[in-house]
This record gives sequence, C-alpha cells and structure tokens, in this order.
Amino acid sequence: MIQVKNLTFSYTKKPFIQDMNFEVEEGEIFGFLGPSGAGKSTLQKILLGMLPGYQGSAVVGGVECSKHDAEFYQDIGVDFEYSTMYEKLTAKENLEFFSSLYDTSGKTDGAQGGKKKRDLDELFAAVGLENDAEKRVSDYSKGMKSRLNFIKALVHEPKLLFLDEPTSGLDPANSRLMKDMILEEKRKGKTILLTTHNMQDAAELCDRVAFIVGGQIYALDTPHNLIMSKGAAKVTYTWLDDEMIEHSASCDLLELSQDKRLKNLIAENRLQSIHSSEPTLNDIFIEITGRTLV
Amino acid sequence: MRAIRFSFIHMLRFVRKDMMLLAAGLSPFLIGIAMHLGIPFIDRQLTLFTGLQNVMVPYFGLFDILYTAITPVMFCFVAAMVMLEEHDDHIDRYLFITELGRGGYFVSRLMIPGIIAFLVTLILLPIFGLSKLSAVDILFLSLTGTLQGIVITLLVVSLSTNKLEGMALTKMSSLIMLGAIAPYFIPRPYGYLLSFMPSFWTGMMITENSPMFVIPAIIVSAVWMYILWKRFETKIR
Repeated sequence: MIQVKNLTFSYTKKPFIQDMNFEVEEGEIFGFLGPSGAGKSTLQKILLGMLPGYQGSAVVGGVECSKHDAEFYQDIGVDFEYSTMYEKLTAKENLEFFSSLYDTSGKTDGAQGGKKKRDLDELFAAVGLENDAEKRVSDYSKGMKSRLNFIKALVHEPKLLFLDEPTSGLDPANSRLMKDMILEEKRKGKTILLTTHNMQDAAELCDRVAFIVGGQIYALDTPHNLIMSKGAAKVTYTWLDDEMIEHSASCDLLELSQDKRLKNLIAENRLQSIHSSEPTLNDIFIEITGRTLV
Repeated sequence: MRAIRFSFIHMLRFVRKDMMLLAAGLSPFLIGIAMHLGIPFIDRQLTLFTGLQNVMVPYFGLFDILYTAITPVMFCFVAAMVMLEEHDDHIDRYLFITELGRGGYFVSRLMIPGIIAFLVTLILLPIFGLSKLSAVDILFLSLTGTLQGIVITLLVVSLSTNKLEGMALTKMSSLIMLGAIAPYFIPRPYGYLLSFMPSFWTGMMITENSPMFVIPAIIVSAVWMYILWKRFETKIR
C-alpha cells in the first residue's frame, strides 16, 4: 500500500527527513512513534501529498505523492489530532458536508454491489454520539470532538487511514471503544497508519512500528520483536533469611536454570514470591534512540 | 466539479447562518440604492444652497468606479472571512486532503465568488450607475473591480492570522480602492505615485475615457495576486 524509498525532505537547507525507507503492507496497522519534532507530522504530510518538494520516492496506493490528482484522496481518510470541524454547525451537518465532497458512485460494496458510503447514524452510534448528532460542535467536549473527528475519517469508506493520536483526550472507556473500532477497521481490510506517543496503544494496536527521531528511522519491527531483541525477560524473586528479613534478587529468564541460589530456595521451599517482567516498548524506545517520548 | 459545487453551496449555507456575512453579501444592493438615490439628491441640495450648478456631477464617474469596487470587495470579504474561519479551525488543511483538493478549495472560495461578483456588478452598475457609461466601460469596470476584490481577499487571508485580524485588515486594505481618486484630484506626474494600485488605472480609464487603461489595471492586479498567492501558499503549508 505504501512504499517509501530514500525519502529526504527539508524545510530549510538542513535536512529534516533523512533517507527514510519503509513499506506498509495492505491491511496492516503501522505505527510511527517518536517525540515531538521527530518528523512524524512532516512524514504524514508528505504521504498525504501536502509537501511535494521531497527527494526520493513516496508511493501511496500506486501513486507518487508529489504527482497525485484529486482522486488520490478518494481512498484516504485522515483523523488529525486536532478538531477539523465547523464549530458553528452541528456534528451531523459537518459529516454531511464532508461526506458530500467524495464521489463514491463508482465504488462497489463487494458482492453486494451498489454505492458504498457509511451510514452517518451508524457511525454516530458506534462512538456513542447518537444523541449528540444535532448538537453544535462548539458544545462538544474534547473527547466528543476526538470521536467525531475519527468517524469523519470513515464517512467515505477509505482503504487507507491516517490516525494521529486517536485516543488523545479520551477517558479509559472511550479509549477502549476507539481502539476496538480501529481493530474493527483493520479486520475489514483497511491499512492504518497510526502516529502516537502512547506506547501502550502502539503495542496493542500495531502490527509493526517505526521509531522516528530527528527525521530518521532508528528501528522498525513488530512490537514483540523489538521488545524481545533488546531486552530479555527478567525473573525477580524474594525470600526470607533466618532473621526473617526479606531479600530479593533477579536473573535473566534464559539463565534461570543456572541460578544456584534460586535452585536452593526452591529446594528449601523458602521462596516468598517469584515473577517475570518484560521491558516495555517505551523502555526499548529509550534504549534504542536515547530519547524519551515527550 | 462535484466537490467544488458542494463546497461552494456549503459556503453559502454557512454565510446564511452568520448575520454579519449575510449583511455584507447583501450590502451592494443597499449601497447601490443609497448611491443612486442619495448622490443626485445631495447634488440638488448643494445646488440649492450654493447656487452652483452640477457640484457633484463631474465626480459621478468616480462614484461608479467606487461602486464597482465595493460590490466585489463585499463578496470577496465574505469569502475571506469564511476562509479565515476555516483556517482558524484547521478546516482548510483538511479540505485540501479531500477530493476537493487545494485547487478545488480556491476555486470554490475565490474564483466562483469572483465570477459571481463580476456578474452582479455587470447587472447592478447599469441599474445604479450615475454616469453615462458605455457597454465596454461597464464590462471593464466590472472586471477590474472583481480583480481588485480578489487582491483584497488574498491580502486579508495571507497577512492575517485569524478572523479578528482579518476584519481589521479588510478595512485597511480597502484603501486600495482609493487609488481611483488620484486621476481626479492629484496632478500628474505626482498621481503616478499611486500607480501600484489597480484602482489608479481604473480611474485613468474613466478620466481619460480610454479603455486601454484596463491593460495596466489587469497587469498590476496580476502582480499583486502572484505575490500574495505565494505568501498565502507559505502560510498554509
């Protein structure tokens, strides 16, 4: 769905995106992770055809991004982090307008055929806004605007979704709802590009992630492989000595059988607790890039 | 075309909900009536009080020039305010990545209002105009007025960062219309100091009774549009 080769872009004389290479398969959720100013938004703009003055190649859906026409956007849905709604209009008026900008008469719905456009009432209901559709957007809370922004990206049933911090500003229940909707869109075969600071979301949703810092990709793999390649799981255990004072120790999971102390404690039945722990994606990000996600 | 049509219709619906913009859109009709009835009335009253004949008649052409400028400016002011509101709410950038696209957006927000302003001026000027104008004069006055309206729109949307600033800047940028006064009141060659204003050449067109001055008016407008367009492109990048 997306092929990026030797991509370089600069706002000034100094390169901002440097020699970037990656591919995104159809039906994949691909995450861009990086701190503010890392180049994630610029990369997104390039892939959306908003910054044509790049070097190298960035192909989306078979079209070079710098040479696209209006039809290019027929299969692209974008959920920006900020609200992009007419505040004076109702939520439904907004969606009706944005939906009207897409000509879906040529799209068919698989075997059933016919026009393919999402039912707005269904979309409102899917994100729990069915009773607020006639409210003006200016009366919406931040979380409601986030949910509305998300369904706006779906109105024309695009094949490719760009989601920028889709769970930002949402309470845990609505964050869960949003993540389930993202996974549902993936099940329908959509390709999703997710930009986020939230490592938990990335680990949960993404098939693969790219760590971006300073306009460069530092690592690209599945969240599981990244975690496993850089940090082995550790086992931590505690026990009491003869004076009933608690002690703890830890060892790598792979060297567990060589830990004589642990063997003895098990044999003497003196273990108080034992648990394993894996490094998080955030730990791996810091280890690889030397940066935190702020 | 479909996206452009819906985008323009949406702008009209949006304007209908905003009383200030609605009033601005209707103002050319009200100004036309006021000018058509008011200026000759004032002229008669001045004749009555001063005993002088035709005090304002020599300037009827200038009133017509200003009227042909005001109609597009008001229409384009409405478009500029909608564009600034869309910029404030990040909607313009979103519209660029729909099937409307960047080009379609500017067609629906600048070109169509400009064409409508041109047609409305073309219709209203013979109705409300004060001087005897030929068909060519009416055509060229409507054209240069429309180009000037687009210049003012670009000036407002490229230099102001929000709607409030835009409203203030519209008032200031409307001074561009005053270039038309120079050929009437400022002796040449000093009047040429205002030749960077498209309206100066419109004034020359009427005072010199030469339609050829439409050419520099178009060229000066085109230069303004190019410079302001480049600035606006940088702003929305």
